[in-house]
Amino acid sequence: MPTSPSSGISAVAAIQFANVSKSFGANSVLTGLDLSVAAGERLTLIGPSGSGKTTVLRLAMMLDRPTAGDIRLFGESIVKGPGGKPRRAREAARLRRRCGMVFQQFNLFPHMTVLQNLTLAPRTVLRLSAEESEQRALDHLRMVGLEDKRTAYPGQLSGGQQQRIAIARTLALRPDILLLDEITSSLDPELVGEVLEVVRRIAQETDITFLIVTHEMRFARQVSDRVAMFDSGRIIEEGSPELIFSEPRCERTKSFLRSVLDH
Amino acid sequence: MRQLFPYLPALWNALGITVLIATLSILGAALTSVALGILRAARNSPARRVSAGTVEILRGASAIIYLFWIYYALPAVPGAPRLSPFAASVLVLSLTGGAYGAEIVRGGIQAVPHSQLDACHALGLSRRHTVLRVMLPQALSQIVPAFSSLAADMMKWTVIVSFVGVQDVFYVANTARAVTNRTVAIYLLLVVIYWLLCSCTSLIFRGIEYALPLSKARRASQAPSRSFSSTSATREPAVES
Amino acid sequence: MTWNWPYVAQIMPALLAGVWETFLVTVACAVIAIGGGLVLAVVSSLAGRPGRLAVRGVVELLRGVPILVVLYFGYYALPQLGVTLSAFFVGVLVLGVIYAAYCSEVYRGALLSIPAGTHDACAALGLSTVVTWRKVLIPLAVRRSVPALVNYVLVLYRQSAFLFAIGVPVLLARAQVAGDQSFRYLEPYTLTGVLYLTLNLPFVYLLHRHEARHAHIAV
Repeated sequence: MPTSPSSGISAVAAIQFANVSKSFGANSVLTGLDLSVAAGERLTLIGPSGSGKTTVLRLAMMLDRPTAGDIRLFGESIVKGPGGKPRRAREAARLRRRCGMVFQQFNLFPHMTVLQNLTLAPRTVLRLSAEESEQRALDHLRMVGLEDKRTAYPGQLSGGQQQRIAIARTLALRPDILLLDEITSSLDPELVGEVLEVVRRIAQETDITFLIVTHEMRFARQVSDRVAMFDSGRIIEEGSPELIFSEPRCERTKSFLRSVLDH
Repeated sequence: MRQLFPYLPALWNALGITVLIATLSILGAALTSVALGILRAARNSPARRVSAGTVEILRGASAIIYLFWIYYALPAVPGAPRLSPFAASVLVLSLTGGAYGAEIVRGGIQAVPHSQLDACHALGLSRRHTVLRVMLPQALSQIVPAFSSLAADMMKWTVIVSFVGVQDVFYVANTARAVTNRTVAIYLLLVVIYWLLCSCTSLIFRGIEYALPLSKARRASQAPSRSFSSTSATREPAVES
Repeated sequence: MTWNWPYVAQIMPALLAGVWETFLVTVACAVIAIGGGLVLAVVSSLAGRPGRLAVRGVVELLRGVPILVVLYFGYYALPQLGVTLSAFFVGVLVLGVIYAAYCSEVYRGALLSIPAGTHDACAALGLSTVVTWRKVLIPLAVRRSVPALVNYVLVLYRQSAFLFAIGVPVLLARAQVAGDQSFRYLEPYTLTGVLYLTLNLPFVYLLHRHEARHAHIAV
């Protein structure tokens, strides 16, 4: 069962999209999107490919800039600085550090060992000492059950192991928000379970806000506080997992769930 | 053949000079390549265009023309330095080699998957760390092999230094030929010498490639103990973290 | 000593004659390299493994030797073997043959990139070897080789300068003569550089345009 969101000291949403639009050239991916994720909440986005779900994550992570609208993390805009001017790079970097993202393709650094992958950011971004970074890295490797692989290279590991290490790498920076972009879609079916187990445990043991994009419906049901159905760049339906999965109202949601769950 | 023996000591010294010029030029070219190559791959358009123009000009004429210009013509310009033959040679070879190398560096940088940049961004790594710790080490895996052929070519380009009076292998061999007229023997000897020099250069770069971090990682991944299940034990490589 | 325009006017005719000579050398070498390379590629393909190995062996050997060494060898050794040719012919022959070897590698790569299905189709239609090569394989290989071949022509154009060392009156040789005669080196060598560069650039531009246009077309 998903944990209830911690009663935040403030009611400020962890992530807030206000009338956000994003186009790539002539291709309009998001139009006037409003989205809000409370601190400590677990929101899952479902929907067909190309409906804009990954774009939402990329905008929150500042890998892309919105064409219009505002995005706020814990009340501070990542698009506009004070006075309405665009956010300066250093300010933006500070805000961005509250977010961590795990990618579909793991994106581990192939030329570094597992331990080096995990200590690079704590050393250079958080400016921790070598001992502190290594300790943190080992703690998080233990959390994902791969402490014994610390001197291995990513190329020696299975996809499931690499993804768990990617999760550990992100968590080592202690982000407040975790963005998970279809983290099991590139894995062989028998490796999916170990990765989802790790995410379930993190959901139970921490208060981190989750914004998840996934096709794993059972997992979404187990972990989420709220589920939102995406189609053509807009949210067409949202609610608790029980509501969405058992009694969806929109026809589009119904047909999507039918096509995904009937395997 | 015996006529050539008195020339062997001179040839040996000349070999040292050839190797010295080649080494300095290759190092200079490496530095120039990295500088120009990073500019060529820059996000900022004026930097890209200026470096592209510089590369085209440096590659546009044979190095010997630039060498003659720097050595003979430049001193005629008021206030310009008068370089020694040795200095002029190393300078010209470094710049022309660097122009060819710039394209190699650019190709290597652009070959690093964009997703690696995304991962660096997601971790909050600064631009400096992204380039130095993640992109360049991976780019080097493609750059070093290509630079190896360039370096071997540069070993051959050193012949032009004999035309400004540097006593390299080519210079001494030609002097020997002019006196002894043993053309075939001397040029066959030159063929062997240059062939060996080029091969050694390639071997040295092969060694550099072997030591690169990404090569080490790739070799580890090709070890026979690769497993696909998380439960089977994998042999840990003897690698320091 | 600063720039002297009357001197420029004085040496310009000689320099332009050098440009013409450079052009002649480049064209002659290009013909030998492009044509000879094709012959080498076809023959080595048909000769089977020994033929291919022979050509690869020659190419690898040439890769390790500076062109000037081969040039001097041709210029000084051939008379000793009884062959007397003018410097122009020696130079063109040496450069042409060396780059024919490189061009044959280009053709060989292009031939290898022709899908096996094409060979199968020719066999299925009962086409003779001669017709298969003349009408199908060679045209396809040549089409795919064009960018690399044009690049080699540009390389030949730059390498033609080295013929000054054996006395062929290319542009660089004329500049050297003018400089040595008057002890004024600034104008001749600067003009040489400018001339070599400006004549080079249009072809480089065309090559870039061709690359950009054909970058996404699988030829």
